[in-house]
Amino acid sequence: MKLTETKPDQTGVVRKIGGDAHFMSRITAIGVTEGTDFQTVRNDRKMPVLIYLRESLIAVNRADAERIEVETR
Amino acid sequence: MKDRIALLGQPNSGKSTVYNALTGSRQHVGNWPGKTVEKNDGFYTYKDSRYTVTDLPGSYGLSGNSDEEIITVDFIRSGQADLVCILVDASQLERSMYMVAEFAALDKPAILLLNMMDVARSQKKEIDHKLLEQRLGIPVLPFTAAESKGYDELKALLAAELEHPHKLASVPALPEKRGASADTTQAESEAKYDWIRNMLEGVTHAESGHFTLSKRDQRLLSPVLGKFLCFGTVLVGFLVAMLICMPLMGAGSMIPQLLNKPIADLLNGWNVHPWLVSIFSIILPNTVYFCIAMAGFVFGVNLVFGYLEEIGFLARAAYQFDSLLSGLGLQGKAICPILMGFGCTIGGSCGTRVMDNWGQRMLTMAVVWAVPCASIWTIIPVISSMFFTPLQTMLVVLGILLYVVVLMTVVSKVFGRSLISQNARSGMIMELPPYHKPHWKHILKEAFLKAWDIFVRALRTVTLISLLFWAFSYSSTGNVADSLLYKVGTAIEPFTRIFGLGWRTFMGFVSSAFAKEAVLGVLNVAFVGEGTVLDATFRSVFNVATDNAVLGQAMTEIISKAEALAFMCACTFNIPCVMALSTTYRESHSLKWTARIAAFYVCGALLLSCVVYHIAALFM
Repeated sequence: MKLTETKPDQTGVVRKIGGDAHFMSRITAIGVTEGTDFQTVRNDRKMPVLIYLRESLIAVNRADAERIEVETR
Repeated sequence: MKDRIALLGQPNSGKSTVYNALTGSRQHVGNWPGKTVEKNDGFYTYKDSRYTVTDLPGSYGLSGNSDEEIITVDFIRSGQADLVCILVDASQLERSMYMVAEFAALDKPAILLLNMMDVARSQKKEIDHKLLEQRLGIPVLPFTAAESKGYDELKALLAAELEHPHKLASVPALPEKRGASADTTQAESEAKYDWIRNMLEGVTHAESGHFTLSKRDQRLLSPVLGKFLCFGTVLVGFLVAMLICMPLMGAGSMIPQLLNKPIADLLNGWNVHPWLVSIFSIILPNTVYFCIAMAGFVFGVNLVFGYLEEIGFLARAAYQFDSLLSGLGLQGKAICPILMGFGCTIGGSCGTRVMDNWGQRMLTMAVVWAVPCASIWTIIPVISSMFFTPLQTMLVVLGILLYVVVLMTVVSKVFGRSLISQNARSGMIMELPPYHKPHWKHILKEAFLKAWDIFVRALRTVTLISLLFWAFSYSSTGNVADSLLYKVGTAIEPFTRIFGLGWRTFMGFVSSAFAKEAVLGVLNVAFVGEGTVLDATFRSVFNVATDNAVLGQAMTEIISKAEALAFMCACTFNIPCVMALSTTYRESHSLKWTARIAAFYVCGALLLSCVVYHIAALFM
């Protein structure tokens, strides 16, 4: 499923990230790589998705969060 | 001798705190050649040697292609720094070590600062920095940037390392490069995180527990309540900033009041030319007062925003307002300076310090100018009620507010394209730092430095503009008709008529670019014929009473409702004031852009006034 479809407090693993090299370098530089564990913290309509990952709270805007495929536990 | 140090780190790593603490007021701000990215250089002396420090632009990594990253990589690669001081957040070591992994490819001497040790300790995170030092092969110093006690040790380490530098002993093993495709980028990043994991093995252990938002964050990050809380916080912040600068402004306003008469008497006694008397007795004391007022505002706003930034509030505001402001090409953080602009444009302009890069800052300043400040609301209702019923006055105010939204959109469209590159327009991906306890000593010191800086630098700009205004409004006889402003105003009246402005209202329009507080006084001079423009403008600040009833009668006899409406629009959306202009110039250190934006606002105000006048004239 997409990161935008996860619910608060769900945990999971990042499976696949789609996008060009520019997006890839931005999203990986902040810590989101394939195989990383994460926890969704907030996912409100029209707001960036908030995830907890590598001990950090990270906000990813919705358009970019659409491109992140995850597998929830 | 090797003496050039560069600071490298991700946003929120405390880089600018270290930079400011090291260099204090010995800083130089400019732009990187040909780029809309700010360049910060400073120096400090330690044991009789002088060291230069370059604060490299903050970014999460180095392999992206933003201007900031290209500049940083070029700077380090070209050897313009003898030593790179990398900052990481000790409380989020794994993620922030990514900068070290990125830096590794550059193969230059470095040291590593484990910043925010106070936060890491409060989270009971233990870090074996000696082991990390062994593995990396460069010195690793546990540090808390906002506390002053560690800096001697840091300076000693920097000096020693400049003498005997170390390079990273271990670097990430990158997969074979196959172009700059997304897959390669991804594989490289993974290799870098693998390397980080190896480096940190046994150095620290990452918590893997369930994360819960603090009570405060639950409220502040909720979609509706959070936005109200942000508004409220900025409002309270503005009031606090006002409270802080009030005593300073009060003291400053004493200067012209106390000095005007003695200086005038003294110079008149020496038979000095009345020109010089008015310059020395009116213009100069007022310029000093204006600059003190500006410095007071800058101090108050920096104190408040410094606090809000340090505790992590601004990052939350950025999250809340990102979707709303990204439409304007702005970051969510811009909401704070924009809201501040409703109080005072000077405050809003210097509040743009919180923006991440120069282009964003310049664009936010341009947008903040569109926001009518508190002074405008002291003149518009007064003028409006001379011509219109209370209900109509409310409509005027509503119309102005609606136009603010339109103007903000237009400004961001007009200037956004050249200020913010397409790359930088990508959506928000940012870290929300944990709440930090504020370090007041550090916040105070920084606010004081900024205020002093603006005071010294603004003196020249404000003096220059004041003299210009003086030249136009000076009248040897004290009669308006003898001033240059009147002569020019009446000469070009046929032209200004197009915009619905006669020479009287045009005079008011010109003075509204100087100070909104001056408008009523100048109108009084123009319409009633009492006093001089010079006194009206420069003394306006001590409330020379204008009899609004008399002014109202005079105005309604001379100009039509349509003209009044056009004039109010022209005034509101003109250049905010000479102090806002000067603050913008000082904050952006770009004369070109300040002039461009000022020209845009003058033309925009005239155009609006023209449209409003001709449409209103059909109905009124």
